[in-house]
Amino acid sequence: MSLSSEPKMQVSGFYGKPRLQAIWLIYIREMRDQLRDRRTLFTIAILPILLYPLVGTLLLQIAQFTRQHETSVCIVGTDHLQEAPPLLDGESFVESLTDDEARLKVLQYRWNDIASSKDVSEETNSWVRDGTFDVVVIIPANFAAANPETIDDTAAVQLLYNVGSDRSMVARDRVESILGNWRAGWIESRLIKSGIDVETINPFQLNDIDIAPERTKETAFWSKLLPFIMLVWAMTGAFYPAIDLVAGEKERGTLETLLCSPALRSEIVWGKLGAVTSFSMFTAILNAASMLVTSSFVFRQISVGGGTIGAPPLTPMLWLLVALIPLATLFSATALAVAAMAKSSKEGQYYLMPLMMVTLPLVLLPMLPGTTLSAGTSLIPVTGMFLLVRALVEGQYYFALLHLPLVIGVTSGCLWLAVTWARRQFDNESVLFGGGEQWELNMWVRHLWRDRQTSASPAQAYACGAIILMALFFGKLAVTQAPQGLAGISKMVLTPQIGMILAPTLLMATMLTTSLRSALRIRMPHWTTLPLAVLLGVTLHPMYVMLAEWISFTYPLGEQAAAAMKPFTDQISAAPWLTILFLMALVPALCEELAFRGFIFGGLVRERGRLRAVLITALMFGISHGVLQQSIAATIMGLLLGWIALRTESVLPGILIHFTNNALSVSMERIADSQWDGAIMFVTATEAGPAYQPMWIVTSAGIALTCILYFSTLPPKINESETDYLDIDGNLTDPNVALATA
Amino acid sequence: MIDVQYLTKTYEDLNRGPFVAVDKVSFQVGRGEIFGLLGPNGAGKTTVLRILSTVLSPTSGIATVAGFDVARHPADVRHHIGFVSNNTAIYDRMTAWEMVEYFGRLHGMPRQTLTKRLESLFEQLRMNEFRDIPGAKMSTGMKQKVSIARAMVHDPPVLIFDEATLGLDVLVARNLLGVIRSLRESGKCLIFSTHIMSEVEKLCDQIAIMHRGRILDTGTLEQLRNKHDQSDFEELFFGLLSRHEQQESSDWNAEYELDTAIEFAGVEK
Repeated sequence: MSLSSEPKMQVSGFYGKPRLQAIWLIYIREMRDQLRDRRTLFTIAILPILLYPLVGTLLLQIAQFTRQHETSVCIVGTDHLQEAPPLLDGESFVESLTDDEARLKVLQYRWNDIASSKDVSEETNSWVRDGTFDVVVIIPANFAAANPETIDDTAAVQLLYNVGSDRSMVARDRVESILGNWRAGWIESRLIKSGIDVETINPFQLNDIDIAPERTKETAFWSKLLPFIMLVWAMTGAFYPAIDLVAGEKERGTLETLLCSPALRSEIVWGKLGAVTSFSMFTAILNAASMLVTSSFVFRQISVGGGTIGAPPLTPMLWLLVALIPLATLFSATALAVAAMAKSSKEGQYYLMPLMMVTLPLVLLPMLPGTTLSAGTSLIPVTGMFLLVRALVEGQYYFALLHLPLVIGVTSGCLWLAVTWARRQFDNESVLFGGGEQWELNMWVRHLWRDRQTSASPAQAYACGAIILMALFFGKLAVTQAPQGLAGISKMVLTPQIGMILAPTLLMATMLTTSLRSALRIRMPHWTTLPLAVLLGVTLHPMYVMLAEWISFTYPLGEQAAAAMKPFTDQISAAPWLTILFLMALVPALCEELAFRGFIFGGLVRERGRLRAVLITALMFGISHGVLQQSIAATIMGLLLGWIALRTESVLPGILIHFTNNALSVSMERIADSQWDGAIMFVTATEAGPAYQPMWIVTSAGIALTCILYFSTLPPKINESETDYLDIDGNLTDPNVALATA
Repeated sequence: MIDVQYLTKTYEDLNRGPFVAVDKVSFQVGRGEIFGLLGPNGAGKTTVLRILSTVLSPTSGIATVAGFDVARHPADVRHHIGFVSNNTAIYDRMTAWEMVEYFGRLHGMPRQTLTKRLESLFEQLRMNEFRDIPGAKMSTGMKQKVSIARAMVHDPPVLIFDEATLGLDVLVARNLLGVIRSLRESGKCLIFSTHIMSEVEKLCDQIAIMHRGRILDTGTLEQLRNKHDQSDFEELFFGLLSRHEQQESSDWNAEYELDTAIEFAGVEK
């Protein structure tokens, strides 16, 4: 029995270094396989080559159609214009008043032509509404007689237009400019009549000159459009081969053939990833090229934005190709990991839709007006790279170089995560072979109850996080007014903390696991970790304050948001200290830690999910804070808390660190103002508020680092990540022992 | 060549809870032997063979193939086996020749040796007439031949056939059994799983009868016949299975009665 009680959790296939030759073999095979597939070839090669010329032809047709269509204007009450300077010349406006060479179709009515039989305003309104005329100009009867000194509404010229119709809006602009010119001429003649020099109303002249050379204008246009087109196609180009190479192979049964060949799982992943990336890049490049060629013809035919836009400058566009490599790899690795979950090509397509929805905002964000490269935007994956490329294309080399390390750091971080995920997927039996069985609701509910374990499963952990974040989101929307007084603040803090974070956690832990203590990871760690956690909380706080300051400098809080926070912070500093300590430190430390570093962490850390547990709980913890600036700081703190939760295998040190940190944040002002002489050693009161002494910052950083080093030496006792089955004391049990009697 | 000790595999199953697909299975197979794994569908044969081919990892227990542990040295194990199963299909968009060549190269065979080996394999299995036909256009029999050639290309000492005759017509199945016999003669170690009794009777040196994850009995055909005093193998097989089922249900009943007795006792207190 000694043999069977020794659990073996290693997953086969992942040992040994991947061999370059095997990766190359697999890569070449996958490429050849895809190239022999008509559907793939059609989507990545034939479609782009045909698509753009077809769209271009269509565009040209539409352009011709719209140009042939004249703008129609109706003028009612031309007989009232006799006293005024000439507006009309026969069938059209006086030529000197119009500055556009395109003709306007003008139809004229005398007042009584309409007024004799119908109501003028009703009739003209219906003309514009029906589109009989794009705009109608009404000259009222008392227009000419109106006394210029009195403002009489009935004498006003009316311009009727319809905001729902683009043509009407264009017509309105044109007619407005004609009427403006007409009025200016009128004023001029009146001034001359009364003997005033016309120059008095024109004290200076304005010449606006666009200094951008023609080249830059083109660059600005293409540097926005081309990366967008390329990234969207890089995504699409990664999706279909990824589905075919993983889900499709599963469906056809060829994946198992490959898995039992001598190729390592890592070699298979790298080979397939290479193939998917190649297709992603080919698709992007082919589409961009085809679009460039077509558009340069189309733009020559129809003028865009007033001037013609030529082909983009080619050399700077090479930057785009360089940036495409990591981004295409990133998309491909993610698509590969997601596709691995599917049992068939059809199922794969269901999964990739949500993936597209998540990625698309990252590609769309840089297209928004005003989004430029900065320390903040360069931290956003994909977006940062996109903006960097734009800066490079526009020739701002120094500026781009400044942000290069951040962008490269973020991109390689994401790349590493995506590739690791894909590799893990290929190492996971339940991903590769699981599923297939029928799913029924009552069966599933029974399974949840019957197969409860001492801690949550990863899926339950994800669900708990999602429930908390959703509850917080809707809870935040429900709060419409700022809290009044201490009772208001208590309600504002306790409702989300207890009702939306702790309650779902406790509910899930009670219902879905057999041990509340084990599910929430309430275990006694080595006794030294507890005082050290408090010490770490104290010594880490100066650095936390610096981090928060850096964040608010990089991503400044909006004035409105700051103003909204002001009464809240004022009330906190006025309230009794112990109450505030309870509300702002104890409650959040308990509720948030039990949820994030307790239940959720305990679920995610299982099945070799150490990295997953730390990263995802930090991210969820960050998002739960709602305000971007707080979220970033919380995510970074969450990483540290998660790591300590991993090392100590308990939720308790995290609670202590969290409590100490929050307690110091709300007490700093009180410490600085206190009568205690020693306070000056640590904190001083400055104009901007209390601040730590530089000496203490350095010392505390040293102490904090020592604490962290100590935590890193803790030996694992139960090793949660390797456990599938845990009994109440966290000991590993052999599932077969329990089952043998069943 | 193959040594399996207390091999166990547990799955999470929505319907049944933690489900033991393979329950403390042990057996040995030597060189030049054909080991038959006989059992109804769902007995756990495929799971055992998937663990031996390192595609799945065992929950507990040890399995070594050609001296390598399947959990610790999976790549070495895969170098020493050829695995043919219903679940190992061939590529639709590759010809027979390309397919076998690809796997030969994945085994790291030098080009010249590989070409020679391919020529002789294609000759031996009579595959030359369809060597340039893509997988999608092959008949089931052709596909099966390609799979066997793919598994044999690196001349492994151990060959594993999982329900390899399933879906084949009589002629092709007979041909396959011939191939397997000739492999034994060349000293290979073979595992052969099936639910067709006649194949086992004709072919296997050692037989293990599997049911619900457990090996009910193992031995040579003669040994099994003598032990159970039953010359008709089919009767022997069904007898074993039904006895096992009866025993399981009586075990379950006994346990259930014990549980209810305890409950009642508790209530009375």
